[in-house]
Order: sequence, then C-alpha cells, then structure tokens
Amino acid sequence: MTATAHLHPAPVRPGFEAEQHALGLYFRALCGHGCELVPYADDADVWQHPDTMTTLRLPSRPPIRDGDPLTDADWYQVAVTHRALHRSLGTFDFDAGRAEPLFPRLRPPALDRPSPAPGLERFIGLFGRTALAVEIFAALEDLRVDAEALRRYGGLRARFLAVQRAAVRGRPEPARLPPRAAVAEALVRASLGQTEIEVPESLQGPTAAVVGTALRLTDPRATVESTAEATIRVYGVLAGLPNIGGGDGPVRTLSLVDGAAVDDPDVSLFRRDLRLEGDELLDVRFVPVRYRDVPGPRYVGQMASGMPLQEAILRMVPDPDPEGEDADEHGFIERSLNAERGDVDITAVERPEPPPAPLPHDHGPDLDGQHDAASGHLHASGRDEYVYPEWDAVAGRYLADWCLVRLKRPRSVRSDSIHRRTMARHGHLLPGLVAALEQIRPAGREFLRRMPDGDDLDLDAAIEAMIDLRAGRRPSDRVYTAVAEKRRDVAVAFAIDLSSSTAERVPPDPQRPKEVMRILDVQRDAVSLMGQALDRIGDTYGIYGFSGTGRDDVEVSVVKDLDERRSPAVMHRLEGVVPHHTTRMAPAIRFLTDRLEQFDAATRLLVVVSDGRPYDLDYGQQYGEEQILRYALADTGRALAEARARGVQPYMITVDPAGDDYLGEICDPREYHVIANPRDLPESLAQLYVVARSRG
Amino acid sequence: MPETATAPETTAPETTDALDEDAEPFYLPIGDEIELFRAAYAQRIPVLLKGPTGCGKTRFVEHMAWHLARERGNPVRDALVTVTCHDDMTASDLVGRYLLSPEGTDWLDGPLTRAVRAGSLCYLDEVVEARKDTTVILHSLTDHRRILPMERLGTTIRAHPDFLLVVSYNPGYQASLKELKPSTRQRFMAIEFGYPDVDRETAIIAHEAEVDDETARSLAFLAEQLRNLDEADIIDGPSTRLLVYVGALIRKGVPAARACDVALVQAVTDDRDIQEAVRKVTRAVFAE
Repeated sequence: MTATAHLHPAPVRPGFEAEQHALGLYFRALCGHGCELVPYADDADVWQHPDTMTTLRLPSRPPIRDGDPLTDADWYQVAVTHRALHRSLGTFDFDAGRAEPLFPRLRPPALDRPSPAPGLERFIGLFGRTALAVEIFAALEDLRVDAEALRRYGGLRARFLAVQRAAVRGRPEPARLPPRAAVAEALVRASLGQTEIEVPESLQGPTAAVVGTALRLTDPRATVESTAEATIRVYGVLAGLPNIGGGDGPVRTLSLVDGAAVDDPDVSLFRRDLRLEGDELLDVRFVPVRYRDVPGPRYVGQMASGMPLQEAILRMVPDPDPEGEDADEHGFIERSLNAERGDVDITAVERPEPPPAPLPHDHGPDLDGQHDAASGHLHASGRDEYVYPEWDAVAGRYLADWCLVRLKRPRSVRSDSIHRRTMARHGHLLPGLVAALEQIRPAGREFLRRMPDGDDLDLDAAIEAMIDLRAGRRPSDRVYTAVAEKRRDVAVAFAIDLSSSTAERVPPDPQRPKEVMRILDVQRDAVSLMGQALDRIGDTYGIYGFSGTGRDDVEVSVVKDLDERRSPAVMHRLEGVVPHHTTRMAPAIRFLTDRLEQFDAATRLLVVVSDGRPYDLDYGQQYGEEQILRYALADTGRALAEARARGVQPYMITVDPAGDDYLGEICDPREYHVIANPRDLPESLAQLYVVARSRG
Repeated sequence: MPETATAPETTAPETTDALDEDAEPFYLPIGDEIELFRAAYAQRIPVLLKGPTGCGKTRFVEHMAWHLARERGNPVRDALVTVTCHDDMTASDLVGRYLLSPEGTDWLDGPLTRAVRAGSLCYLDEVVEARKDTTVILHSLTDHRRILPMERLGTTIRAHPDFLLVVSYNPGYQASLKELKPSTRQRFMAIEFGYPDVDRETAIIAHEAEVDDETARSLAFLAEQLRNLDEADIIDGPSTRLLVYVGALIRKGVPAARACDVALVQAVTDDRDIQEAVRKVTRAVFAE
C-alpha cells in the first residue's frame, strides 16, 4: 500500500479512464477542438457540472443497466459525439443576423446590430424568464444536434438510439406534472426520439405546437439560428402555461410524429411577461439527460471572457436554500466561469485537496512514520509499470525488484503560454544554439572505395575487374568510389525534477521585478527551448519528469516520449506537469537508460535536471538519519554507472548551489554542472548539451 | 557467369513506368492548378508542387505530361520521367555514370539526362530528401541557361525545348528537419496542393476505387473528420490515396469497418490511443 493511500481515500476511477485520451482525440476529430474529460461522481448534482469550452463533464459510471445493448464505452462515445456536434454545428456561434431557412423571422432586427456582447447572451436577454429560455434553447439544440448525429454517423446509429432509449427510462411522466413542466418533458422526450407520449387532454394543443415546432429542427438545413426561432415559439407557449397544479384530468396518448404541426404558433414575444413575486422559484427545471451536457454559462454566451449574465446563471443553479444560504455556496458560478476562462480546475470538488504549499525543503506531507522500508519485492502489474533494483550501499548489495516506476501522462493544459514565454525570455538563444549544434552535426565525410554503387569508377578496382574479365574469371562488382556523410545519430532524454521543492520561487530578475517564476517554470523553459533547437537539427529527444512518494510509487511523467514527435499535445503536457513530493532519481535514471537503449543511435545522452540532492521517504532511513544522504547518493551513483556501462552517457545539471558537495562524489567533473542562479538554467542547459553532443 | 561487370541495375534510381497512350491519367482539379501549370510550361518556368502525401501531386504531373505530350505531338511514353528522391541519391544517380563493359567503359545516361535530351517532364518526387549537393546540379537547368553540365563527360548539354523540371515536396513532413535551400527553391514557381473538399474527394474515390457514391462519400467524410487530427499534428492525413485503398478493399468485399482498420487505422499511426480514437471515428461512420 502506498503512503498516499493512508491519507486520501482512493478516488473512484471513472469508467472512461482507460479510454480518456482516445475519447479526447475522438472529440477533436469530430469537431476540431481539444478538450479534457472530467468525471463527476454518480451521486453529484448534474446541474453543477456543465461542460465548458475546454472540458466535458461525464458521470463516473454511465447510467445504463444490464440488458441494455450497450457497453460503457458505447455510452461514452455517444456522449462525446453529442458534445462534439455542439461545437461543429455551431451551438455557441449564434449570429442573429444570419439567415436561416425554416421559420418566418421573429428575431427582432435590433439583434443584428454589431455589439461587443455575445449574440447568444443578447438573444437570451430578450426573454423575461432567461432561465426558461436557456433551457428551451438547450433542449432544442440537443434535438437538432442528435438528429444530425444520427444522419452523419451511420455506424453509431444503433448505439446512439440505444443510449436515447436508456435515457428515457426514469424520466417523470408528463401526466403527473404541472402543465408547463409536462409540456417541457414532452419536448425532451421528443428530442430523445419518443414518438408517443401520454399528456393530459387539456395540454394536447400546446404539446403538439411545441413538439411540432421542435421537430422542424430535424431538417438537415436547420442551423442554430433556426433553433433560436424555435426557442421564441416554444417559449411563447411554455411561458403562457401555469406551472402549478395539474397532474389530474383525463390523459390521452399523443403521437408526436403525427402531431408535427406545420402551423407556426402565434406568439408575440418580448413584451415583458407578467411575473409574480416568487414565481421564479416555481419555474420549470428540465430534468437533465445525462449523455448531454447541462446548460452552463456558455449557453448565455460566456465562452472565455466577459462578465456573466448573472441573473440567468443564478436561475440555473439549484434553488436557493430556504434558510437563505448563499446561492453560490458550492462556488459553482465562480468555478464555472473560471473554468471557461481556462484558469481553474473545476474538478476540485471531487479531487483530494492539493497538498499545502511547500515550505523550503518540505517534501510533501510527512509520511515517514508510515513508511516501512523493511522488505518486500514489488511487481509491475500494468504495461506502464516497471520494477527496478536498488543499490543498498550500507549492505553492499542490490535489493531486487525494489522500486516500482509508474509512467503517467501529465494532465494536458491547453495553452501556448510556455512557448510564448520561452520565446520571449530565451528566444534570443535559439539561433546561436541551433548554429552551434549544426556545426557539430555532420561528423565529416568519408571517401569510400570499392563500393558496389557510387559516383565514379574506382580506377584500381576497375582495372582489376577488367583483368579478371579478360582472364575469364568472375569480376567483382565493387568498382565504384563514393562519398558518404558520416552520421552521428543522437538520442537524448531530458529528465526534469518534479519534486515539491521545484515549486519554490527563484530570485526575481532585476529587469522584470514583477515576474514570479518557480524552479519548475525555469526547467520547463529550458527543455522547451532545447526541444525547439533539437527539432531543427533532427536529434531524437524525449522529455520526462520524475517524482514520487516512496519506492512503490516512483512516478515518471512522460511529456514527450523519445519516439513521439513534437506536437501541440506535447506542449500542453509540459504545461500540465506539477510539483509532487520527492526526488528518487535512480529508478528514473534506470528507466530512461532502458528507454534510450532501445534506440538505435550512435550517441545516447541522458540529461538530468534537478534542484537538490536525491531524497525519498524510504531511502536509507532504515539505517538512521546520518546514512540517508550516503545511501541515496550511492544508489544514484550506481544508476549512473549502470547507464555508462550500457552506452548511455549521463549528465547532471542542478540549480542547487550545494550541488558541488555531492555530485562530485558520483560524477566525473565533466558530467555535471552546478548553476548559481536558476534563471540561467536554459542557457546553461543549452551550453551543456552542445558540449555533450560534440563529445558524442 | 556474367559477361560484364556492369553496375547492378539497382543503383539506377527508381523510375516509373512510361505513360500509356490510350489511358489518360485521371485527375480532378481542385483549383486553378491546371491553368497555372500550363502557363508555367508555356514559359518553361520550373514548377514546385507542395502538399501533403497522397493528395495527388504525382497524378497531377502524369495528367499534365500526358496532355502536353499529345498536344505537342510527342510520344506519350517519353512524356514523363519520374525520380523518387532519397537521401543516398547522388548527382551521378541523376546525371549518369560510367559502367564497365568488356571493351572498357560505357556511359549510361541518368534519368535527368534522358529527360533533358528527350524533352520530357522530369519529376523529382520528394526533392528535399536528396542531398543538398545533389540538388545544386539542377540550378543551371532551372534558369535561362537550361543546360546540364556533364562533368564526367566534360561536356554540357542543352535542354530540349520541351523539357521542364517539376519537383515536389511535402512541407508538413519532417518540416523542421529538411527544407530546400533558398537558392534552390527560388528557381521554381510553387503550386500548393491540399486535400480536396468532400465532394471532389467523393468523386475521386468513386472513380479510382470504383465504389458506389455513398461509400465514397462516407470515406470522404471520414477523412474530413480525421484531418482535424492532422491539423493538430497528431496524425498525418489520411491521404486521398489511402482512402482509395480502403475503397478498393470495400469493393472487394471486405466489410467497411474492417477495411478501415487494416488500411487506415494502422496506416496513420502506431500510437495505441490515437489508433483507438481513429477506430472510434471509423466505427461512428461505418457500422461493424
């Protein structure tokens, strides 16, 4: 059991975890945008988990039952498809001025005038009951989107319909609801493909009008502006219905398909509806459909900036507590809006509290007491787990299967700020670095003789061949000379320290006194700069981070694998790495040595960037305090020696001013470099690499 | 026992089969590339074709060579010489070399020399792959001189009036690694190719793979979706050529989803997660 397991209950793994990355890419293929999939707990209030432009909120377990012709993966694929089509069909790109082919226009012309406010916000602002308008708009868009999904994705059709059928289960019966809610429910059911529905006789007319209007959006030509027109009409009907009482009177089955009214309902909107005090509390809440997203701030035009339409959002959150609690007690609005702006993790509710901000040389929570390094081999149980031995210098032997390395992909943070920041701060270094590397790139040319293929005849070989030929012997065909470039392929792995101390700030730059930078940021800049240079000259490189909480939990974060190419995804992962606990360097070195060894390169380099000496919770502590440093250094030194023996040349670079004191013990002086000012790391790393590369 | 110690055939660069007089290479234009190419040819301005792999560059050159040869009354079989460049290709591979023969040495023209003498279009595919010292021999052919120095023969040959040099490269592929030297690339007019839109790609797939319109359209739609991953640099393509392969398998009775697995999913990436994502898209378009 890991030390962390004592502190935090194991989080429930979402059902889509194994496919998380693939589903994210699937979303991107369908709509061209990236997203992160974030789970919410099964018992969570769905209304608190609206999607944003960068996150999809999905239940940890899909609401399907045994007997449904669906797998969990099917359900998630349908949910992601629906959400992707919101993006590709322009749900959030409403433009009131754009013509649409289905309805006589009711949108007021005033909406067409240019305005800094988003079109959707201004449109929704027309309605007296904004929350009701948003719900109607969202339900109608869902209907339009699903109709298009069924047309576009024939291969998914059967699974899509099955998910829709499963979604109808457990919904309230319209016949038991107050009139407005009953018609709203009929609308949602129609959007889920139900063709027959029982409604009170008195509501047959309004239901037919609403559903008939809605079903026009299944037309392939329908656009989001068509949905807006339909919203005006449906709102006109629903707002005119009372939302109390009902649930009695004779019931009749209405065929929703036959009821597809062609008449345009006669609505005259945009007079302020008469509202009674407290009326809003009785307003209808559409029962959410879980494979679809629930309306959030983006349904009132709040995409990434600007102030929210507070009134509308307040009405979308759960009804205020009668005791008069703060309506935003869960911080929903703020979190949602921050999430829209892309600067907050709105998943914080389900995730464990982050560790407190580290103090200098604090290696995370104090777990020492819970860690017993006594014995026990570890086993790798997945394809991303690896077990390595450890050198016990005190006992003078290897401990077999002692450290478990787990690979993980850092969370992807969509932002190109690393790139911009790096280029702003260190871009001036790039041309010189590339030039320096290019100079050492070809290792010269070789003049090759007696080749089977080449530019010129090799005179000696040609004469011999002629002699052979005339003497009746079989001549050699190696009669050419050639000039070949000597190649020196290089593969390099950069390993950056992600221990919690990398969250410390570096001393401010006198030229930019306000800029706050952590050691981690400087490390990121450094590897990002190197990556750009290496891409230009063609060296193979990988970027990894390492951290851990004990021998059974050494984490290697794969930002860019050696055989992966640099892509925006790599930059997003680099942005997503976070400081985390301790520095057990040796297992990471052993893992990366393995990794590099698989590469057919003449030169293999391992560059470890760190901010302090190796340390872990169960790393020599068994021999007493005074042995800790010796134990950790000896193991690290041993791992470096193993690397050298296997043809991987290690280099250490540290921003720890005391680095000289211990690195000298385990490295050749040419193999390590201590930097006085962490801000110099990018430049120093570049210089070190040029030197390392030319030694090749 | 061989009579001569000639260099093995394999040292000669790969050249394509000659065009067939009776078979017009099918090409569906996506813009004004045909007009541009004709204008360039009229002025004998060398042409650089840029575009992703499998988008139709080679087919376009074949199409143009076929038409230009017929219009000028030249034999179609000599209309085009194609050389696929690679990083071991030397100037000799293009210009020619001496071979040993029982009598001494024989000179063998390389493909470029053949094209220069015969007045063919010479198409150097993926020219960035060639070594930089190799591309330099193209310089005197691509300006007003239109000559090819034959260093080893000690002569210079003047290009046939109908000769034109066409090169291609794919800027997205290993973009940061290999680029044309400015002194080379500024000798060409450039025509940029992209993937065709869904309608055109449908027509191309239907024609080339001989599948029905509905299948062709589904494949073109599938490609349009997957190219969102190309935009994000996650995969390359898929190319129109790959879709034609998938279509051809479908026509031969392989179920569509399976054909996508073997000819598309496996071809665009080796990463398991990306494969799974691509497979999900193919399974959303084609039922299992």
